[in-house]
Amino acid sequence: MAHAVEHEYTTTGLNHRKMLMWVFLGSDCLFFGSLIATYMVYRGQSLVGPYPIDIIDIPLTTVSTFVLLMSSFAMVQALSATQADNKRGIVNWLLFTAFLGAIFIGFQIYEFNAFKNEGLTLGGNLFGATFFTLTGFHGAHVTLGIIWLVAMAILGAKGRLGPDTALDVELLGLYWHFVDIVWIVIFTLLYLIGGFDAGPSVMPGG
Amino acid sequence: MAHETEHTSNHPSFKQYVIIAIILFVITIIEFGIIWDKVGIEDDLGPTVTPILIGLSAIKFAIVIMYYMHLKFDNRIFGTIFVSGLVLSFLVGGALITLFVGFGGEPRGYAAANAVPYEHHEEVEGKEHVEETAPMKETTEPVSAGPVVLAVSAVGETLTFDVPTLTAPSGSEVTITFDNPSANNQHNLVIVEAGTKDAVAADGTAAGPTNDWVAPGDARVIANTVLLSGGASGEVSFTAPAQGTYQFVCTFPGHNFTMFGDFIVN
Repeated sequence: MAHAVEHEYTTTGLNHRKMLMWVFLGSDCLFFGSLIATYMVYRGQSLVGPYPIDIIDIPLTTVSTFVLLMSSFAMVQALSATQADNKRGIVNWLLFTAFLGAIFIGFQIYEFNAFKNEGLTLGGNLFGATFFTLTGFHGAHVTLGIIWLVAMAILGAKGRLGPDTALDVELLGLYWHFVDIVWIVIFTLLYLIGGFDAGPSVMPGG
Repeated sequence: MAHETEHTSNHPSFKQYVIIAIILFVITIIEFGIIWDKVGIEDDLGPTVTPILIGLSAIKFAIVIMYYMHLKFDNRIFGTIFVSGLVLSFLVGGALITLFVGFGGEPRGYAAANAVPYEHHEEVEGKEHVEETAPMKETTEPVSAGPVVLAVSAVGETLTFDVPTLTAPSGSEVTITFDNPSANNQHNLVIVEAGTKDAVAADGTAAGPTNDWVAPGDARVIANTVLLSGGASGEVSFTAPAQGTYQFVCTFPGHNFTMFGDFIVN
């Protein structure tokens, strides 16, 4: 039945749900693009500390970046298992993906807490405002993805996922990989490049 | 049905997914290595570090959307939709960065410095306006050089003064009391030469809070209060300079764009 639904007639010949997901991801690019641009605009403009160079922990975040990349690999395995009708594989890979996502969020909670203890707050300086807004919204995306993954794993455990419903897992995968690529950009710009910024005297391009 | 076969056969195999994962990991290690070098050794790569890092992350980005998100194998319409959003976000970001980082990082200051005053348009349109306004300037009140006490206050949590102008006769002993009722904001009151408020504030920012956000020895500054925390009051006394229009401004960084007025000496 689900099979019939997925192949219903559409004017483009493409599945509407998948189309909707891509349109959403395209628009989410603008959402994160604007937040990233805002961070870059105010980069190095904080008048008071803490500045990135004081608190950004690149080794720690490199580890959490590894974890998120690994979760994307687990996600494609979950989709492969769904298409191959491997019932145990579906549940295990989905839960493993959720587990890795939860570890990433754990790193973020630890980091936010450490930054707070160092005096970085949402209202304290421009760095805190733009950093927490951007990475906080990314963390919210990951958290939503974890809830979605667990919900799908429950469906899988009930035997309701398989080749006929592979699109359900594929859409989840698209969302999850998108969250991963957003982090690739954030990690490069905020940590690898921006992690050495200090106060206004080293303003970029100024 | 044809769609289904196409779907499964075109997806990468387990082995290919593993290879992709390894490539992503290796790129991340390389990125970390570049940065770690940058910490230990003195900038070997210099200014090329940033483009290299952006290039490496772009490669990771492309690998994930092409293989993990199957854009390489899927219908091109999906890719077109996504890339459209991506390109738009680059344009929005580029516009924001150009606006705020270009123009010396001060778009409002740039606009203020290059603005054509409204009165100027009137003068160009017809000379009648000039003739009408000219006599008014001549009917200024007679100068009295007694002491003058003026009061000004910041308005709540806003970055504004409560009066647009302060007036005093030339040569008089002027005392200005300044109240800062804000709970959060620090303010000061600086009397400066006409048209120099933003420049004075910029130099004040460089001088820092220990100098009350005013550059020591700034010749454009006629007088200033100390930096007042929220709830505090201060005053400043000085001799009113030669006849003309001056400005008063708060030079706390960023406040100068909205928190200023004219100090008129007649």
